[in-house]
Amino acid sequence: MKIGKTKLALAAGLAMGLGTASASAEDTIKVGILHSLSGTMAISETTLKDVMLMLIDEQNKKGGLLGKKLEAVVVDPASNWPLFAEKAKQLLEVDKVAATFGCWTSVSRKSVLPVFEHDNGILFYPVQYEGEESSRNVFYTGAAPNQQAIPAVDYLMNEEGVKRWVLEGTDYVYPRTTNKILEAYLKLKGVPAEDIMVNYTPFGFSDWQTEVGNIKKFGSAGKKTAVVSTVNGDANVPFYKELGNQGVKATDIPVVAFSVGEEELAGLDTKPLVGHLAAWNYFMSVDAPENKAFIDEWHKFTKNDKRTTNDPMEAHYIGFNMWVKAVEKAGTIDPDAVIDAMIGVSVPNLTGGYSAMMPNHHITKPVLIGEIQADGQLDTVWQTSGLVPGDEWSDYLDGSKDLISDWRAPLSCGNFNTKTGKCGGETVATQ
Amino acid sequence: MSAMRTYSVAVVILGGALAVALLSLLPAEHALHVPGYVVALLGKYLCYALLALSVDLVWGYVGILSLGHGAFFAIGGYAMGMYLMRQIGARGVYGNATLPDFMVFLNWQELPWYWGGFNHFGFALLVMALAPGLLAFVFGYLAFRSRVTGVYLSIITQALTYALMLAFFRNDMGFGGNNGLTDFKDFLGFSLQSDATRAGLLVASAALLSLFYVVCRMLVGARFGKVLVAIRDAESRARFLGYRVERYKVAVFVFSAVMAGLAGALYVPQVGIINPGEFAPANSIEAVIWVAVGGRGTLVGAIIGAILVNLGKTIFTGALPELWLFALGGLFILVTLFLPKGVVGLWDRIMARRVPAPPLVAAPVRQPEAGE
Amino acid sequence: MRKFLVTCALVLFAALAANPAAADPVEDILTGFASSKYDDIEKSIDALAASGDAAAPAILDALSAGDLQVSSDKKLYIKGDDGSLKEARSGADATGEIPPGLKAVKVNNRVRRAIDAAMGQLTLLSPDPAKRLSAAASQFHAPDPAQLPAVESAIAKESDPAVKRAFEQARAAIILVKSDAPDADKIAAIGLLAARGDEDAKSLLDAATASGSPAVADAARGALKGIERSLAWWSAAQNVYYGLSLGSVLLLAAIGLAITFGVMGVINMAHGEMVMLGAYTTYVVQQAVMVAAPGLTDYALVLAVPAAFLVSGAAGIAIERSIIRFLYGRPLETLLATFGLSLVLQQAMRSIFGPTNLQVDNPSWMSGSMDLGGLAITYNRFWIILFAVAIFALLTLVLRKTALGLQMRAVTQNRRMAASMGIRTGWVDSLTFGLGSGVAGIAGVALSQIDNVSPNLGQSYIIDSFMVVVFGGVGNLWGTLVGAMSLGVANKLLEPVAGAVLGKIVVLVLLVLFIQRRPRGLFPVKGRAVES
Repeated sequence: MKIGKTKLALAAGLAMGLGTASASAEDTIKVGILHSLSGTMAISETTLKDVMLMLIDEQNKKGGLLGKKLEAVVVDPASNWPLFAEKAKQLLEVDKVAATFGCWTSVSRKSVLPVFEHDNGILFYPVQYEGEESSRNVFYTGAAPNQQAIPAVDYLMNEEGVKRWVLEGTDYVYPRTTNKILEAYLKLKGVPAEDIMVNYTPFGFSDWQTEVGNIKKFGSAGKKTAVVSTVNGDANVPFYKELGNQGVKATDIPVVAFSVGEEELAGLDTKPLVGHLAAWNYFMSVDAPENKAFIDEWHKFTKNDKRTTNDPMEAHYIGFNMWVKAVEKAGTIDPDAVIDAMIGVSVPNLTGGYSAMMPNHHITKPVLIGEIQADGQLDTVWQTSGLVPGDEWSDYLDGSKDLISDWRAPLSCGNFNTKTGKCGGETVATQ
Repeated sequence: MSAMRTYSVAVVILGGALAVALLSLLPAEHALHVPGYVVALLGKYLCYALLALSVDLVWGYVGILSLGHGAFFAIGGYAMGMYLMRQIGARGVYGNATLPDFMVFLNWQELPWYWGGFNHFGFALLVMALAPGLLAFVFGYLAFRSRVTGVYLSIITQALTYALMLAFFRNDMGFGGNNGLTDFKDFLGFSLQSDATRAGLLVASAALLSLFYVVCRMLVGARFGKVLVAIRDAESRARFLGYRVERYKVAVFVFSAVMAGLAGALYVPQVGIINPGEFAPANSIEAVIWVAVGGRGTLVGAIIGAILVNLGKTIFTGALPELWLFALGGLFILVTLFLPKGVVGLWDRIMARRVPAPPLVAAPVRQPEAGE
Repeated sequence: MRKFLVTCALVLFAALAANPAAADPVEDILTGFASSKYDDIEKSIDALAASGDAAAPAILDALSAGDLQVSSDKKLYIKGDDGSLKEARSGADATGEIPPGLKAVKVNNRVRRAIDAAMGQLTLLSPDPAKRLSAAASQFHAPDPAQLPAVESAIAKESDPAVKRAFEQARAAIILVKSDAPDADKIAAIGLLAARGDEDAKSLLDAATASGSPAVADAARGALKGIERSLAWWSAAQNVYYGLSLGSVLLLAAIGLAITFGVMGVINMAHGEMVMLGAYTTYVVQQAVMVAAPGLTDYALVLAVPAAFLVSGAAGIAIERSIIRFLYGRPLETLLATFGLSLVLQQAMRSIFGPTNLQVDNPSWMSGSMDLGGLAITYNRFWIILFAVAIFALLTLVLRKTALGLQMRAVTQNRRMAASMGIRTGWVDSLTFGLGSGVAGIAGVALSQIDNVSPNLGQSYIIDSFMVVVFGGVGNLWGTLVGAMSLGVANKLLEPVAGAVLGKIVVLVLLVLFIQRRPRGLFPVKGRAVES
């Protein structure tokens, strides 16, 4: 019967482990932070955890929310996708958080989505993504493809006169979808198929000699060529180093990236890369009083005046302020009331304007195109004249062009098919 | 190891799971209610325990250190995932009855041929067991026939799972690429989000684990098991005595792979996602570590190790999010240095000191020294 | 030299004289830079270049470096590196207060291209041959028939043969795009471009095949065939070079493991973290040099090599003394302990240096590339190949020719015998492990030049390293060399055909099959030691 005792001890340990997590005062409002602090994604996500802690700290200094202090609950899903789901469940069921800010990769969001829908939680997702999703329980504060990719291509076409396109991406769903959308868009604009080259490389790819060689070859056919890069995270530094060393200059073959921000550039000597582009909704270099205040606060909070800010941080800034406003409007943290109150909420963004939450749970944003500078910053060279609303169901994909999303009553549907007049899927049933 | 101890382990696992499952169905206000979070966690742990059991069978008893068992686990998981994807039917976001969502928006026109049949559970079940088994057979046959042993074998099993990971990452493979398969709706007609289904899955995992535990116990207790240990301790000698070493090895390897595959299959509906990350070599190494922590070559140690380490991970990633890797890494180092026989060995040592003469149970048969 | 200056002055004078000076048109042009529209700035650049004003090159240089500033009353200034201000046109120091509303003139890629083209025109006759060469190149890349006379006069005056050839090629490019050039000239131009034989020549000839004159089109097609043939050869050679370069990276990553795993039999899962330590050391050394002796920043990398060796080596010895030595004879358990150790080390780096990538600069002698025939050879990869080979040679020497090497081999082959001969086996074990780890640290210095310096650095190389050592044959340094190079070349030859992902999968599968055929790798070590 030895084993029986072992089991009992285990059960006691389990109970204790969970107990410590749930034992805390009831007079705070808990906010979950679900960002990887270890593993491959820690490199990007740790900063977002820090910025959330800063925002919560600031809000508490202003007196908290609904008369209560906010309390951050930080967990580490360790870049492990099933662990994301487990930790999301812990935040919602054990810690009973009022809202969660988290996830970076699409797969982590997909992994936690059923948990948030089942437990009726609220997730703020701060990263640009491929679209093709709209959940009642998720607010997407990053860019949809129409808020990043398409304006960037327009810029290259009009401003740089690009005729030939290399779509270079990491082989996963965001680049695949973005490139499908761009291919359709470019063909619509009359670019022949032989002037588009699509190439995919694995995650964390580090030997770019062949690919950069091919880009040079493709670009020497006499037509102005540009690279649209959806290369992800870790693979970017070796990619840019190889571009610099093989002498691919921005004036010859500009590279516009959707996943390279100030944070990634901080690990690079950017002098050989001056003039290559990035498309985002925020740059650290933007000259706006809100931005200056935010950067100062950030430097003070991290006690490091060299720390950069980037677009997903702004998305959390917007998302957090929207949530605060919605909770104040609803007068409660009850998820249903807050979800309803969120739509239409408008808060200042960091580029000197306002961003509003739309009925499809995406937000309005300006689109900025910036060029890499020698000091590692991105300098705006072009921006949309107004705000662009996020379009979750792309108009350029066959499957999704008839779908719309509207979470207001009476429609209250994330994937309403305007042709058939039906709300597809089960998203409605889970309410 | 007495039959009584064998069965008591099985009874404890099954009984415990059953009790937790029933308590979870109590109304939430009830004092003894077990939250759904715990049910999901335990279900996951038990699947890991089954994977650990399969690793212990080949490592603890035959001396094959496989660093690729995660591949069998993941393949079983993918087979289950494909079945679950097909069950979604027209309820996907695009309302396409035949194609899973990820194929619709990447413009696939028709279902690839290898997705055929997965709408039948029977067929899917067959694949969950046979696909890992077949892979293990081909791989094992080639490797053991050429007498690839020791670290060489470990490294090429690692290469195997690494290659599979890269392959499944490719979107062109038609398995959903990096995102893998998600957004499952129901399993055999039961909604995966309901508490009852989750309780049922927990009991099913416990039942499968108990069953395989008993089978493994019988296997290693029988003459077959003695040959396995002989191969582990002195392979050449076993061969000279006339045993067809390769056949034994292939047989155990295939059986173990099937076990791992089924563990993966039960894991997927409980965590709600299967993606190429499960093939990551680090996952397979972790499974080996669970076994080492629990106690190699004891079977029950594998189960305890898997549960202990994962429990620790659950607690530490919540309680010490920035430091937990120190704790986990430190644990691995300390266990290998100071507990060469794992937790079970420690337990035996403590019991031996406290109780001079073993009670009721017959004198414990010393496990032969591992091939150290 | 004097002749040049005189000519320059004459040309400039002629240009100035051509503009009847009403109100000084150049000042008018310069006010265009105050615009916030890139169109206006581009037009101003073109006009400034056409004006041939003496201050134009300096102004354009400043513009492209981001040092051209404009005040709110549309006056232009050039900011020096020391923060001083000079009036752009006159070059005189700006006196008095800082002009109000001073800000940099904005530049984007289109503007940069306009600057390049303008500089191409302005520096055709520059006294500096390097500037003339780049002027010729910019004329070649953007052939403009209007520039033909200027290029031809430059050819006539050119004395440097390399620059002269470049000008002639530029002239050929211009003639090919000039619609009214005589056929005979065009055919001669085609001949010149065929001799150049690169991708740029190919794209010009491609365009020429569509020429209205059949003779020209035929000549272009004929020349194209030759170019394509030679380009195919060069591209094959280029792939082999890429392969060798990848192979040398693999060799560097694996060679330390070839000692700790290959020679000592320790399955060292923390090997990648030793590489990572080396990369972080490089970062620290570079930062320190930047602060202490900014002039030597370019050579920080050289200093980092011994530093990384010492840091990783010391870490290795500490690990051996505190963990590994208790696990000899239990190779599979070293795997578990070192795996735990790798987690701890990764997290430690994350806690100390933060989770983000750190910036390790390429020194100037490792930046850029050179053309060798049709091969593009990047300096960083080239140095890494040399470095890998040097490390390999050095290590072979240490193992073969030194007392330590002899003792190492003795201990690994027969520990008890070695001990009875008076070798302090424990000490030798520590040093061997330290050597392997130190070499891994040196690899980290090289990898910091091409990859991320982040806590995950080691993880991305550990599996490949094990494959290389096992493929080459455990316990054999030459096997590691051959293994690394053949895996690198195989990978790079497959990549253009199958793509990066599939190529790697194919290599892995082939490797698994190879081990089935030859269970002890390419160069198995024979003897009793390996059987146990």
